[in-house]
Amino acid sequence: MSLLLQGLALGVLTGGLYALLSSGLSLYFGVMRVVMVAHPAFLFLAAYLTYTVHTVFGADPFLALPVTVPLFFLLGVAVQRLLVARLAPENVPMMSVLLTFGLALTIEGLLGTFYTGSYKSVSMEYATRSLTVAGVHLPYDKIIAFAVAALTLGVLFAVLVKSRFGQALRATIQHREAARLVGVPTERVAGYGFGVGLATAAVGGTVLALITPFFPASHWVWIGKLMAIIVVGGLGSVAGAALAAVLLGVVEGVVLVTVDATWATMMFYVFLFLTLLARPQGFFGGRLAHRF
Amino acid sequence: MSEVLLALENVVAGYGRAAPVLRGLTVTVRAGEVVCLVGPNGAGKSTALKVASGLLTARSGRVLLSGKDVAGLSPQRLLGRGLAHVLQGHSVFREMTVAENVRLGGYTVRDQAVLNARIEAVKELFPVVAERWGSVAGLLSGGQQKQVEFARALMLEPAVVLLDEPSMGLDPRNTQIVFDQIDLMRGAGVAVLLVEQNARRALEMADVGCVLDLGRVHISGPARELAADPRLGRLYLGGVPSDRTAGDAARPRPPGPAF
Repeated sequence: MSLLLQGLALGVLTGGLYALLSSGLSLYFGVMRVVMVAHPAFLFLAAYLTYTVHTVFGADPFLALPVTVPLFFLLGVAVQRLLVARLAPENVPMMSVLLTFGLALTIEGLLGTFYTGSYKSVSMEYATRSLTVAGVHLPYDKIIAFAVAALTLGVLFAVLVKSRFGQALRATIQHREAARLVGVPTERVAGYGFGVGLATAAVGGTVLALITPFFPASHWVWIGKLMAIIVVGGLGSVAGAALAAVLLGVVEGVVLVTVDATWATMMFYVFLFLTLLARPQGFFGGRLAHRF
Repeated sequence: MSEVLLALENVVAGYGRAAPVLRGLTVTVRAGEVVCLVGPNGAGKSTALKVASGLLTARSGRVLLSGKDVAGLSPQRLLGRGLAHVLQGHSVFREMTVAENVRLGGYTVRDQAVLNARIEAVKELFPVVAERWGSVAGLLSGGQQKQVEFARALMLEPAVVLLDEPSMGLDPRNTQIVFDQIDLMRGAGVAVLLVEQNARRALEMADVGCVLDLGRVHISGPARELAADPRLGRLYLGGVPSDRTAGDAARPRPPGPAF
């Protein structure tokens, strides 16, 4: 029973992190119908930048965020305007896979050139301890990851729901032509939406740097997991992806402690296949799935 | 005769590199007038509205709004000059509330007091909008969604409103409500360019009717007279109007609805 509780608790914490890591993917697809294969590569680019800030300046990894978040926002706007916006509209979902696959390879190559192919990690003393509550051990690094993810997603939801930009972005996602007709500059909003998506990767990358060692090709491990999450959640739905992330995090955590690590990873694909069979539009949204 | 607010003059337009859909279309809309475009599927009715609102740029010809050539301007710019466009089908922001939808209609208004005054005005004009203010728009009936779209379009107090098949998919009761709302717009001095498949019903309420086929106006005149014109029935049933060329007649045309 305590083993199950342990798995459940770890699953919730990890699921929160997955929610942050996949939120950007949902935004790209929602705004632009772009399948952003390079999102995990950007996550690890942020992780490497965090590593640099930590090793060169001896600073706490989270102090990299004031630099990486705006930088990644601008990078996102640039990627949308200079690359994605040039794809023929009728081929965006398919061509964006190829385009962003190329981007991922480019980032991986650059990281290999600058940082070599060996593993790097950011180790902070406070992240190595754990908290024990009712016999359940909760590592601090996972608690920090969950807290940062919850805070970031809270800010993201507040921006999407409350701000003028958020309203324009949601309108653009839900009906682009109607949004244009009420005066929303949809191209500019789409660029900023892409920027916000990549800014979440900056935060996610910093958290990843803290909890796991990484090397330039680490992103390939993550793309399958994150894609499974957004399909289960419903393509284009940020809230749906967050719910699916927690669900799959819990399933992974429980299977990890009750069966083994291989089956825990497999669960993402089991849920992906079951979703595609039973409810291809996803379980928590996915009005846009038919456009894919 | 009242002032011409919107005029399309010899407009040629199409999508991508395909053959043009509009092939020399000329239509004028005057203040406080409802002009109805009818015609078979593929005649270019919706395309004409897209050119007028800037969603599609004309390859040649002129689009005049209050006498000024606005061809090539974006929908945002045309909105600022008093032109609103309600799209075919349902175009509410489905996962937003009615309140958010209507507020987005005033997206370009920065003055909160002006925005609030306009919200109150459209709530008065469309009681269902006030009644369902906090509801999610996608959960409303088709007729209610259409009224939310009308309210959203009227938030900037446009001089010209383009309506693309507003009765599409609605039951007779909601169709009547929608036509009543169009009548109200006309009463408020708004010029309406209406595209409608329900041709007889639309011509009964419009001031001017234009029958389009293959991207041109083939017959136009007072709407009620047009409704009784036998050529209209022939065109809808697949016949060839007397003024069409042999070349036009040879072009395949998708079957239109029975008139």
